[in-house]
Amino acid sequence: MKKAQILGAIIASFFLSFGLTEVFNPVVHADSNKEIIFWNPFTGPDGTSMQKLVNEYNKTNPEYKVKNVSLTEADMYSKIPTIVNSKKGIPDLQIVHVERIKDYVNNGLLDNYNPYLDDFSDINKSNYVPEAWNNGAYKGKRYGVPLDIHTTFMYYNKGLVKKYAPHALDDNIVTFDEIKAAGEKSQKDGITGLGLTWWKPNFLSLYDQLGGQLTKNGKNPSLNNQTSRKVLQIYKGLYDQKITSQDGQDPMQLFLTNKEVFFPEGIWMNNQIKESDVKYGVTNAAQLSDDPDKMVNWSSSHQFVLLKQPKRDKAKTEATLKFLSWVRTNSLEWAKAGQNPATLAITKDKEYQKMQQSFLLTDKTEQESLKIFNYQYNGYLADYLDRYAYDSVFGKTSISSYLNKLQNTVQDEVDAQMTD
Amino acid sequence: MVDISSKSGNVSTNRKKTWHLHGKSFPILYLLPHLIVFTIFFLIPLIFGIYIAFTKWDLVRTPVFVGWDNFKTLLFSHSIFHDQLTSGLWHTILFVLISVPFCILVPLLLAVVLNTKPIFAKFFQGLFYLPSLFSISAVVIVWSLIFNPNYGPLNTLFHLDQVWTGTQPWAWMTIVILTVWWTIGGNMIIYQAALNGIPQDYYEAADIDGASRWKKFIHITLPSIRGQLLFTIVTTTIAQFNIYGQPLMMTNGGPNGSTTVLMMNVQQNAFGSGQSLAGISSAMAVILGICITIVSMVQLFLLRNKD
Amino acid sequence: MKNKKQGSAQWLSLIFLIVLGVVWITPLLYGLMSSFKSNLEMQSVGFKFLPINWLFTNYTRLLQNTSNTPVFRWFLNSIVISGGSTILVLVVTSLSAFAFSRLRFRGRNVLFMFLLSTMMFPPVMNIIPLYKIMTTLGWANTPWAMIFPAATGVFNIFLIRQFMDNIPIAYDEAARIDGASDWQIFRIVILPLIKPVLFVVALFTFTGSWNDFLWPSIVFSDINKMPITPGLKLLQGMYVADIPTLMAGAIIAIIPTFILYLVAQKYFLQSMSLSVGVKG
Repeated sequence: MKKAQILGAIIASFFLSFGLTEVFNPVVHADSNKEIIFWNPFTGPDGTSMQKLVNEYNKTNPEYKVKNVSLTEADMYSKIPTIVNSKKGIPDLQIVHVERIKDYVNNGLLDNYNPYLDDFSDINKSNYVPEAWNNGAYKGKRYGVPLDIHTTFMYYNKGLVKKYAPHALDDNIVTFDEIKAAGEKSQKDGITGLGLTWWKPNFLSLYDQLGGQLTKNGKNPSLNNQTSRKVLQIYKGLYDQKITSQDGQDPMQLFLTNKEVFFPEGIWMNNQIKESDVKYGVTNAAQLSDDPDKMVNWSSSHQFVLLKQPKRDKAKTEATLKFLSWVRTNSLEWAKAGQNPATLAITKDKEYQKMQQSFLLTDKTEQESLKIFNYQYNGYLADYLDRYAYDSVFGKTSISSYLNKLQNTVQDEVDAQMTD
Repeated sequence: MVDISSKSGNVSTNRKKTWHLHGKSFPILYLLPHLIVFTIFFLIPLIFGIYIAFTKWDLVRTPVFVGWDNFKTLLFSHSIFHDQLTSGLWHTILFVLISVPFCILVPLLLAVVLNTKPIFAKFFQGLFYLPSLFSISAVVIVWSLIFNPNYGPLNTLFHLDQVWTGTQPWAWMTIVILTVWWTIGGNMIIYQAALNGIPQDYYEAADIDGASRWKKFIHITLPSIRGQLLFTIVTTTIAQFNIYGQPLMMTNGGPNGSTTVLMMNVQQNAFGSGQSLAGISSAMAVILGICITIVSMVQLFLLRNKD
Repeated sequence: MKNKKQGSAQWLSLIFLIVLGVVWITPLLYGLMSSFKSNLEMQSVGFKFLPINWLFTNYTRLLQNTSNTPVFRWFLNSIVISGGSTILVLVVTSLSAFAFSRLRFRGRNVLFMFLLSTMMFPPVMNIIPLYKIMTTLGWANTPWAMIFPAATGVFNIFLIRQFMDNIPIAYDEAARIDGASDWQIFRIVILPLIKPVLFVVALFTFTGSWNDFLWPSIVFSDINKMPITPGLKLLQGMYVADIPTLMAGAIIAIIPTFILYLVAQKYFLQSMSLSVGVKG
């Protein structure tokens, strides 16, 4: 029994020492203490950068300080509807991916910025990357102010490119043909040509290059067609010829151990790749044509939004916009996470210009290649693409049944929605 | 059945200042703490959840009552939700059918062996219980290391080139193995205790009759622990019907959706990336609940004590 | 002769246990060893059981990064939450089990069957309404949000009741003749006798609450208030492909439950032999 008593004593002392006082207090929400509660899905290097950014802002002694709350992405998105619905503890400022905005507006989850924008004239079109800015508006109102525009581009192994594709990078555009040629040579040495990474950006980018559209009328998906079939055939062709990484292989591991020439991944992975001893460079995502005007680089954008509040506090909302306005001219810290801030002011920063990802913004043609896929029902599409990913490329199902199911899934889910 | 309060009620006196006044007993006072907590934090949410199954809801606006529509869609239509229900339910049942026998037999075998009281029995009991203390995400990390096709011990040591989580039937095998490994501890201890409680003279009488070890197991051991067996079969089945974390994190429901269990569809429809389809999702969960209830009832009926 | 027979059975058992034990422990040991490797070594060297370079940085990094991953804080939160849940469960369920086992009232069996039948429904259905209740009470981001739902479990009542049913009624009757009330019978006669099963319930509750991840990741948004299991999920976001660090986190998280197991182990057998209905 002694052990039990000791255990009891331990538990009891925890309750007494700190439990009852601090742990049991609910989070104090900003109403009383002039704090802007800021939720975001930033973890890892992103999380560290955002924390630094917020700290810097708080050092300027604003009337309302910002409290940074970072959550895992999946948890954050499941919380948002429940917390708005419960009308309590709603954060004052929220980051969401731009593709969510249409859905959120239709669900009544967002307040718009329009009543406040007159007082913050610097938060306007001319100061932001157009693709990021334009997608933050919906039905004529501004719901999102972009923090960044993050792109899936391509990392390459310098040594291996020299060996297998010496001229592929001359124009800074690596085409699928060039990848194929490189892969045919490299596979004889057991080197993979192209890593099969996150399927969604790879699929969407190529689909768009081929002229594919996700929807014809804005509502119903149009995903089972010749174009999408072509995308899968291209990837399947490369896979079957063993030019790409194979099922079960980890493309990142291959790249980090010098066994892969090209590695398409997000700019946000740069800090992690930097830690290894691979000698690498970065370029545009794989393209069909080497015409710079036809180039497509899949992108998304983190946008600041205002979740709907039963009673919006005007003074605090203005303070929130003050923070956004400050971020616009102080985004360097965010760029250090490997990201591309959406503000044009950053392109003039010397330190930023030296960063690897900066070419996507500083060059006008590159900037125009950034494409956000903002189909209203992107969520359903993304869930399907993430779950079934490369199944048809790996030959686990046929291309036609894959696309058929994709189309039906998204269509049925769209139809099952609550009507507005 | 125990009946004491009525028989002995009068004996008590008013001397004691307790809840027990004038020989009357107040069972409600003992039940109340649990019932209050149960009602507020389980029953009300459950009823609301069942109600949601009869609505269209996006988690934000007011739910719209649609009657049996969700159930009709799930059971009789040609929509993707019907496919999700049937394939999800089939995969769940498949998993239950494969895993439950192992989750009963392996711990039973271990308990019988431990009951012979070899040296270090306590150490081994601890060892087999140890995995139960880990959370599912930790368990998945451990096993994805083992099954890693590139640097996992399985492929490296045996010079294989198998993508364990990406091809059938291996994908199911990995899920079942990690489930058995993770969960047998509880059942093992229940059986161990049950075996411990069988009076030794039963066996001694059988020894006199010259019964073999197997015969003793069938005719003495099994009948003696039938209560525990019934209990564990029912609770294990319920637990495995609710399978979610293992395929989600181990195989992501693949290859080609072949390990996508019903709870994954329930979860994705309610908390996926698109607008929530909470009504359909709730209806799926209700159907799963009904299936579990039916299976439990059948088990209780088949395994009931015939005396 | 009998001893000899038993002896041979014991040796066979031991061999069997050693073989299966090795199978059981290998994944854990491999995981443990991996937590001392660097990520690069893990990915590039291929399979090696022991680390080439023993590193403790995976652990120190986790424990030192207090702003993004306050592991120590999560740890304390978890102890408060799991400890609180355990205490509440023990109080509430032992009282209820006592009523179901020892007291007579109308509808007793019906109520009990009803409670049991609610076990069949998948817990995911409750999450959204439960969340609403918690925010209405202002309990989101507090330990209460996990402590009270933990006490709704009917399984525990079932276990304790079965155990009580096996305690001879003669004990109560003797006490009653001496003038004991229900409450005194519970306190003085029953409670000391059911300690073993309470240990088991405590262990199950504590580990269950400690390892729960779906509900806490919904109801906790403040990084400093959350328990360790959703915290570990946050780690997975931070160290995406860094398996050694994640493994280190998992090892740290198991320590309290392991200690509790060691304490409770000796009560297991005693408890279970009476519980879970020998009567069937």
